[in-house]
Amino acid sequence: MRLLLELVLSGIMVGSIYALVALGWTVIYKCSGVLNLAMGELTLIGAYVCLTYYQWGFPFPVALVATLITGFILGLVTERLFLRRMIGEPILSIIMITAGLSFFFRAVVGFVWGTDTVVFTPPVFPQEPLRFFGMVFGQVYLWSFAAAILLLLVFVWFFARSRWGLAMQATADDETAALSLGVSAKWVYALAWAIAFMAAGVGGTLLGNINGLNISVGYLGLLVLPAVVLGGLNSVPGAIVGGIAIGVLQNLSDVYIGPLTQGGVKEIAPFVFMIGVLLIRPYGLWGWVRIERV
Amino acid sequence: MLKVNNIEVLYHEVILALKGVSLDVPSQGIVALLGANGAGKSTTLKAISGLLKHENGRVTEGSIEFLGERIDRSSAEEIARLGIIQVIEGRRVFPHLTIEQNLKVGGHLRKNGGDISAGLEMVYQYFPRLKDRRGVAAGFASGGEQQMLVIGRALMARPKLLLLDEPSMGLAPLLIKEIFEIVTQLNRQERIPILLVEQNAKLALSVAQYAYVLETGRVVMDGESAKLRENPDIRDFYLGLTDLGTRKSFRSIKHYKRRKRWVS
Ligand SMILES: Nc1ncnc2c1ncn2[C@@H]1O[C@H](COP(=O)(O)OP(=O)(O)OP(=O)(O)O)[C@@H](O)[C@H]1O
Ligand SMILES: [Mg+2]
Repeated sequence: MRLLLELVLSGIMVGSIYALVALGWTVIYKCSGVLNLAMGELTLIGAYVCLTYYQWGFPFPVALVATLITGFILGLVTERLFLRRMIGEPILSIIMITAGLSFFFRAVVGFVWGTDTVVFTPPVFPQEPLRFFGMVFGQVYLWSFAAAILLLLVFVWFFARSRWGLAMQATADDETAALSLGVSAKWVYALAWAIAFMAAGVGGTLLGNINGLNISVGYLGLLVLPAVVLGGLNSVPGAIVGGIAIGVLQNLSDVYIGPLTQGGVKEIAPFVFMIGVLLIRPYGLWGWVRIERV
Repeated sequence: MLKVNNIEVLYHEVILALKGVSLDVPSQGIVALLGANGAGKSTTLKAISGLLKHENGRVTEGSIEFLGERIDRSSAEEIARLGIIQVIEGRRVFPHLTIEQNLKVGGHLRKNGGDISAGLEMVYQYFPRLKDRRGVAAGFASGGEQQMLVIGRALMARPKLLLLDEPSMGLAPLLIKEIFEIVTQLNRQERIPILLVEQNAKLALSVAQYAYVLETGRVVMDGESAKLRENPDIRDFYLGLTDLGTRKSFRSIKHYKRRKRWVS
């Protein structure tokens, strides 16, 4: 029983990091209908950028904020350089562009930072684990959880309250109507990329702190796809809950089903679960069942 | 205030939707644009607001001037910034946002918070029902509430010219009356000039001072509302028994009537 609780709790903690990356998928999909196949690479770039700042001697919180700012700028630039001219083109073409971006970014990361695993040195978080009621958690998990939740709350506030957050949601709902009110669709797309870069970058950084950083952190992008689909692709709260659910699911399947197999259950479980849910709820858990009334 | 000079509009570079439309909207009052389905009323509004460009449409001939400035090449965003706000036909609310959030998006161009709350206050004064329902997702609001919402949302943008596309569509007569009364009030009290597109000619002529009649992409008649109301062709075709939805053309009626006059 205690083991179960421990698995669930640490699953929630890792899941909150997945939620950040899932939010990146969602915000771009929601605003522009594009599935951004370069999501994993955004994660990678953010993590390496943060690592670089940290190695330059910035305290970690400062490095993290600097990563957010860098992510914001990189998002705007990426949108401007690669996606702006594709506005209005078929969605599939745009998705192919993001596939191309994925390879491009990966190559850039390999070129700039190499392919060896690197770790944050000195370690960012204290090494000795904390104990609650007999359960043991690494401090890196607790801090990552706190950082992820804080950032998620900021994003949720941004979408529900701020001028540009509402403009983004409005564009997602009805682009023409938003345009008629003077909302700039170009800025909305650019902001979506900026936010995706920021969220993914922090997600990658936190994960890099836990496992060390190499090119495989980029697989996080695909790993959270089930979380996004579970959440319903265009729901921000859905992405968050989906991300956390995937974290828990991975932990449970790893411990309870893993020993019965040759391994790999942890990686497959989210996808199996996703297919199961989609069979029952094709729109995902929180997806838009179209609101229609006349 | 707004001058549309003999514009021609092409969709997808092949479909000719307007074949020379001219109209004037003075800086006060309400001008009505009447016509049957497919006459080109919405296309005219979209040409003015710039939304046409997002439907692969283009003004190929003629020009549009607003406050002396040429706007037919400007983007929808620039035109909205100049103060021309179009209320698109079909009650296009943002369904997943609440009523109040919808209104806030309307205030997107007002940058500071105090301004937005003043705007909300004003809209709620004209549409108290929106205030009661402000926390409801707009997709779940009733048809009448949604129509009020899209008008209120446009008000939030502080329009210098309001383009209203068929506000009566699909609403019960009592609601239509209520909404038209508010529209008239907005025009008088807030001094917002309005270009009103309607299929319901009787209604439109009762609030507008001047009207244009559009048919298959051309203005076939225009004049003071009072005069148009007395015009026998308008009486027959727009105000009489025949509804606007019928496929019979206004011109063919005219010809038919002329022939009849000759015969008798
Ligand atoms: N996006 C578009 N692409 C191609 N053709 C269009 C488009 N929108 C309108 N049209 C065509 O332009 C003509 C005028 O349409 P418009 O929507 O302006 O008519 P309307 O007078 O507003 O009619 P209604 O009363 O039905 O709204 C029609 O023949 C229509 O088929
Ligand atoms: Mg129309």
